[in-house]
Parts: sequence; C-alpha cells; structure tokens
Amino acid sequence: MASSSPILRQLGCFRSLLKPQPQPQPLLQSPLNRRALSTVYSTRPTPKPLPENLPEQFIKQLPLHLRPKDPKVRRPIPPPPPSPCTKCKDPVAAVEEAQLAVLDPTGERRALFDYRRSPRSVKPGDIVRVTFKNGDPFNGVCLSIRLRGLDTSFLLRNHLTRVGVEMAIKVYSPNVESVEIVQRAQKRKRRARLFYMRDPKHDMGTVENIVTNYIRQKRALSGKKRAPVKGRK
Amino acid sequence: MTPRLPGKLVHLPLISTWGFQYIIRSQVPIRTFGIRSLNPPETSRFNVGHDLPVLKSTPTAALERKANTLPLRTGAIATKKGMTAIYDTETGKRVPCTVLQLDRVEVVSHKTRQKHGYYAVQLGSGWRKPANLTKSLLGHFTANGISPKRHVYEFRVKDESGLLPVGQMVNADWFQEGQYVDARSNSKGKGFAGVMKRHGFGGQDRSHGVSLTHRSLGSAGPSQGGGSRVYPGKKMAGNMGNEQNTVQNLKILKVDSENGIVVVNGSVSGPRGCVVRIQDAIKKPWPEDMSPSSS
Repeated sequence: MASSSPILRQLGCFRSLLKPQPQPQPLLQSPLNRRALSTVYSTRPTPKPLPENLPEQFIKQLPLHLRPKDPKVRRPIPPPPPSPCTKCKDPVAAVEEAQLAVLDPTGERRALFDYRRSPRSVKPGDIVRVTFKNGDPFNGVCLSIRLRGLDTSFLLRNHLTRVGVEMAIKVYSPNVESVEIVQRAQKRKRRARLFYMRDPKHDMGTVENIVTNYIRQKRALSGKKRAPVKGRK
Repeated sequence: MTPRLPGKLVHLPLISTWGFQYIIRSQVPIRTFGIRSLNPPETSRFNVGHDLPVLKSTPTAALERKANTLPLRTGAIATKKGMTAIYDTETGKRVPCTVLQLDRVEVVSHKTRQKHGYYAVQLGSGWRKPANLTKSLLGHFTANGISPKRHVYEFRVKDESGLLPVGQMVNADWFQEGQYVDARSNSKGKGFAGVMKRHGFGGQDRSHGVSLTHRSLGSAGPSQGGGSRVYPGKKMAGNMGNEQNTVQNLKILKVDSENGIVVVNGSVSGPRGCVVRIQDAIKKPWPEDMSPSSS
C-alpha cells in the first residue's frame, strides 16, 4: 500500500526548504553597520566649520580636501641675462686671431703662405730657405702648404748627406725667424701636394748648390763680405 | 598621512605596535605612525660625551674624510668649443689647448649639511624656453629669481664659506690664468663596440682554423670546477663611450671674461659642444686669490 502518491514523494526533496531556518547570528556587531532609528529619520547634520587657528601639527590629520590650500603664487619668470655667446659666436677663431695679432702683427707671414689669394706667396715647387731663431737654416723644395689658420705649415724636402730629409715647419711659430724664396718653380705645378717628388724618378736631390748661389748673389748685392751667422762658434 | 584604520573597530582596543602612538612634545601631542623597532637601541652611558672620537661610519666622519679633497669654492659649467694652439712667444713652444665658453652661469640654489647632508652649489647655465620646462623645475628657478637654465649641475664645496649667494653670476674671471682645474665631461659615444675596440682584447687568429670569430673574445669563464659560470664584471662587447670622464690638472692658459672664454691646456673629453664642468684641481694647491667675480 502506498502511503503517499509518487508525485508527493518526489517533492520530498524540497522539505528542507520548508523547515524553519536558524537565523545567522552576526559574529561581530559593528557599530558602523547599525543605524539608529533616530539617525535615519533625522535631518543630516550640517558640517561644522573647522576651528580657526588650528595648530599646525593637527592639519596633517585632516583629510586632504579639508586641509587649507596653499595660496597659488604666480611668480614672474625672470628674463635671461645677456649672453656672451651672442657676442662671440666663434671663440676658437677669437683665440686664434688674438694669437695671430701677437705672432704676425703685420700679416706678412700670412700673405707669404696664403697661396690661394696672394700671388707673391710661396707655392709648391719653390725652393725655400728658412732661418730659425737658434741660427740653424733649413733649405728645401716646398712639397705642400697646409692652410689651417694658426696651425698653417709647409713641408720642405732636401737631401742631407745623400739622405732624403723632410721637415714640416709651422708658419707662425716664433722659432721661425725668416722665410725666403730662393727660386721659383720653373713651371706652375699642376698639383697642390708634390708628394710624387719623393719617388727616385722625380726626386730633385739636394738644393744646396742653388741656395749657396743665391746667398752669394745676395751678399754681392748687399755689399757685405760675410753673412752674419747667429748662434754658431 | 591619514592613519590606516583597521576595517573592524573590534581590533582597535587591542594594543598593537603597528598602531599609532602619542609622542608628547611641548604640551601638544603629536601622533606618529609607522614601523618601529621592538627593541630600540639602548644608549650606553659610557659612550656619551663631547670629547669622544667621531665614529667612522657616521656622516660627520665621512665629511671629515672628504674634507681634504673637496674644493673650497665652486666651479663652472662650460661648453667645449673646439681645440687650437697657443704659442709661447719666449720659448717658441706650441701648446695645444681647448677653448671653453661660459654662458650665463648663475647660482641656482645651495645644498647644505643641515638639509641635504653635504655642501654644494647648484649652478645653471644657458637658457631654456619656459614652455619646455616642467612646472616643478620652473618653480625651482623662479622661486630663486633665476631665469630658466638649460643645464643644471652641482659643485661640491668643503663648507658653507664656499657657498656663493643665490643669483650670483660666475664669469670666466672666476678662474685665473696659470691655475689648475679638473675638467669633467662625457666622452664621445662609440655605440655598441666589440671587445677589441672596447677593452683592447687581442682578438683571434686570422687563420689556423679560426672561422667567423676573428674579433670576438675567447672564453667567457672557467669550466666545471672553476664555478662553471660567467663572473660578474666580465669584459664583453657593449656600449662604449658617452661616460663621464675627468681630466685632472689642466692649466688655464687664457681667460677672457668679456666673451666668457676659458682656454685650458690639452684636451678635454667629449665632442665639440658638449658640457664641461671645470673646478679647481684637487691635486694642486688651491688658488690663492679667491675673490668672487664681479657679477
């Protein structure tokens, strides 16, 4: 005999829902979560203004939006002072010019080697005689002229005791006493740098003979018996 | 900072070291927060006294150690303009030199022992558009009444007597002809360089079975037994140059305060146009006449 219908038996799984549930007791009754009836129905309190002359150490405890704000200061941006860079755009050139004014006040040396501008200047292929402060002369063929402002130099080649000798001489060096052109090149050289003259085929050899001839002629013209020799005994 | 209160107020009454404490100074209590030691260091009653030596690991001792190598006065920010030569008219000697230019170098602010732990003069040079500056940096300049500067650097000095007043101009005549300076600048950048160029390694053979590794380094480290790892600091290929380099004891050959030109003997690291910081050489006696330049 069936006590209950099979339909009801199937619904038996919902029986637990019908049972009275035990109310879950809150573990912690936080006072923040409860609101008293009086507060719910009373009007919102108006925020009190902050007490004036609050000591400074309490200001840190206030929330950010309540802290007194620093007054906004718009300071003027000072104009830049005058710059020496606008006055002197190229200091390297200024230093070089000041040096040249001391080393070559008349501009004679400059004209003697500025072969692009002055026609009287030394040109590659010329035979040149240089006298130094200590009295030593050096003669040779000018192979090249290196125009670099204060560092302008020229390269001389000669043979001493049948050995090829080259000497690069700074034009504005105070050690250089005089530069004379002994002999001009026969024909205008087609190159600016005559390095091919180092080859045995084109080597000029020693220029001593030409230079001694030149000195003899010069002495005859000036009427002196002997050229003064400096620094030698 | 507002205190971080725990979410549940139940925890509050518990006494905790992480909470806040009251420190009572001059009647008004100040609340302090943060982590503090459970066992604060005890001061020994034998280790107190004014005639005791300064402990070596203190900032005071560190400054004392540094005192002999710190310049008495500030340096200057300059720009490398190029190299040329100067002839000594008496001996006829040619001296290669570097031309530096000072551009509106002004004292921006100070660093003091009390606030920052050391004494230094902050200098600025050049000029920068205010629109290209951050607000904080612009405020730093305008608060001190200085026009915005392109370059800002610090120069350490020994004590507060070396601190120039803020806003004072440092001209080229701050340096004297004949004195010695140290020039500090970034070297020329060489990019990613191999070990032969960067560290001067020998490379490997052209032949004898070497293939494809003619310019590379050999072994990077020992094998098993020697640690089987690459030791820290192993010289390898990488970025070369663009590092700060100091050239010491450069003689000042020429000074032109009108054009802000300072000519120093020899070479200075870096390309043309780089920023060079010059200050009195620490390995030479300090310059005698230290009158501040007329601004």
